[in-house]
Amino acid sequence: MIEERDRKLILVADDDKDLVTALTIRLKAAGYGVVGAYDGDEAFKQAQETRPDLIILDVRMPAGGGFDSIDKIKHSLTTRNIPVIFLTAFDDEQMREEARQLGASGFFRKPFDDAEFMGVIESVLAKPDGSGRR
Amino acid sequence: MRVISVKSYRVAYIGSDGDFAIALENALNAVGFPFMRETADTHGLQAAFDFKPDIVLWDRDGTQLEEKLPITALRQAGFTKQPVVAVARREDVDGAVNSLAGGAIDFIFKPLNENPVPRLLASLNAGQKQLLLDWYHRVIEDTNDQIRGILTTLVDPAYIVSPEFQILWTNRAAEEIFGEGQRGGACHHVFYDRTEPCEVCVKSKGSARWRAMLKNGKSYRFISAFVRNGRGEVERLVVGTDITPDEEVQKIHKTFIANVSHDLRTPLAAIDQYVNILLEGLAGDLTEDQRGYVDVIRRSSFRLNSLVENLIDANKILSGDFKLRMEVVTIKDIIDVVAGKLESQAADKQLMFQVQIADDLPHVYADKDRVAQVIANIAGNSIKFTEQGMIQIRAGFMPRDEGRVIVSVEDTGIGIPTEDLGKIFELFYRVEKDKVYVEEGAGLGLSISREIVRAHGGTLWAESMEGMGSAFHFALPAHSASTTAAGQGTQHRR
Repeated sequence: MIEERDRKLILVADDDKDLVTALTIRLKAAGYGVVGAYDGDEAFKQAQETRPDLIILDVRMPAGGGFDSIDKIKHSLTTRNIPVIFLTAFDDEQMREEARQLGASGFFRKPFDDAEFMGVIESVLAKPDGSGRR
Repeated sequence: MRVISVKSYRVAYIGSDGDFAIALENALNAVGFPFMRETADTHGLQAAFDFKPDIVLWDRDGTQLEEKLPITALRQAGFTKQPVVAVARREDVDGAVNSLAGGAIDFIFKPLNENPVPRLLASLNAGQKQLLLDWYHRVIEDTNDQIRGILTTLVDPAYIVSPEFQILWTNRAAEEIFGEGQRGGACHHVFYDRTEPCEVCVKSKGSARWRAMLKNGKSYRFISAFVRNGRGEVERLVVGTDITPDEEVQKIHKTFIANVSHDLRTPLAAIDQYVNILLEGLAGDLTEDQRGYVDVIRRSSFRLNSLVENLIDANKILSGDFKLRMEVVTIKDIIDVVAGKLESQAADKQLMFQVQIADDLPHVYADKDRVAQVIANIAGNSIKFTEQGMIQIRAGFMPRDEGRVIVSVEDTGIGIPTEDLGKIFELFYRVEKDKVYVEEGAGLGLSISREIVRAHGGTLWAESMEGMGSAFHFALPAHSASTTAAGQGTQHRR
């Protein structure tokens, strides 16, 4: 197991519970703390309560999708500086651009390359303002 | 002499040979054909015309009119329907033959040494047939003119194609839809993705129906039928109807594809993650057998993922929704994206894998991931169809036309049959000759690759020798003209 990195906390929000579990295993193995959420409302609630260092958001989720969530996250005093990375099975240029405009730091399409994904997480977390972009 | 004649024909001789006229008159009297002789001047022609002959004999000697074109002179004098037989001296063979070129239906030598009646009857018969044929062709020509008149203003594209698949005529709509300058070109070139005549046209012996996509991305249903032109030649008339779904339907289709793609990728992502967790030992150590089984899942999932992505790409191409994310990159950056994966695929089959990139290559303006996809597609095929030897990726510079960067993927595999080489880039085309080729794949990868290269303003082509190997090359325009051509090659052995 890799050294703990000051237990940086990552919120993973995806309605595919299996994927949340898999990401939890992978991220924990890389030394991160992980909290999960399975819909848009829960994602925003968890973001406010746990103040994670990074949020990984799915786009299509029940109770407000990823775009609703990032909108709230980026307009909330408590969460607006938390970097957000989208992880979605959609591959749409417009969606990618919208995510960028809403302040996302990365956009990954499922299925994704583990090494590249982990690399971006690391580089985003390394930036003091969390503005690292893919 | 017993002469059988079923019908009486009126014969006019225009000339001044008295001996010939008498011999002819005797022969005609024997079968009861009315006869007259006149001199070849204006008065004589008028008198002959008034006689209403069924056939005219035109003596080449002593005519005061244009003798080389007897039929023209006679037609001008009002003889529009009668066959004309030239009369020439026996030694004037050239003159007799020239009369045929001038429009005579036959010739008779003088002096007569045989009965001229059978020959005149044959000329009358041929003349009637010719008249009928002329009339028939005139009717066809008139009808064709009328049809073309109607087709010209038709809102649907209509065109006429020769038996050699050359466009002979297009209406206005076809000109607008196919683009100008199609006349004289090959008909299949108006279609998307066609390099050879369509099978339906080659095979059909009558009318045919087919659907095809044009280069502008619109779908058309075509019907064709054989028509005869004024010269009696068979041509193919084709009329198309736009069957492109309207915007609302396209929007629904796009949404449907986006949703289906999403729902296919979602479980694939989970499979991928758990396979990697198992293979990386994050869930504990695996036995050798277990690792082997999980690796089968990994490879199957990879294949399924490739198929899904290819289907989505093909759909995007067909619906004209294919977009690129362009940036200035080096070809090395692009090759690096896929070289690792390809190397490990080659290693699985114990194939040598080489990447050779020339020094100082200019940058290209490209979608890195898409061009990497092209390399992965063609090199993936190379690995698939090579059982021993080597896969080599080379990148170099072509200085012509402001410079292009060329990437070649060469293998020592089973090669591609010559007859298939022109078709392998067609959508859904698969080489079916060898069983190895039908093992997997939907016939999408190469056509998608070509579309990607085309969208970059580049070209993709292939060469192959069956049993010896294949080489696929693609060239992309260089981004900067300032960069020099390739220098000494750098060998990267992997």
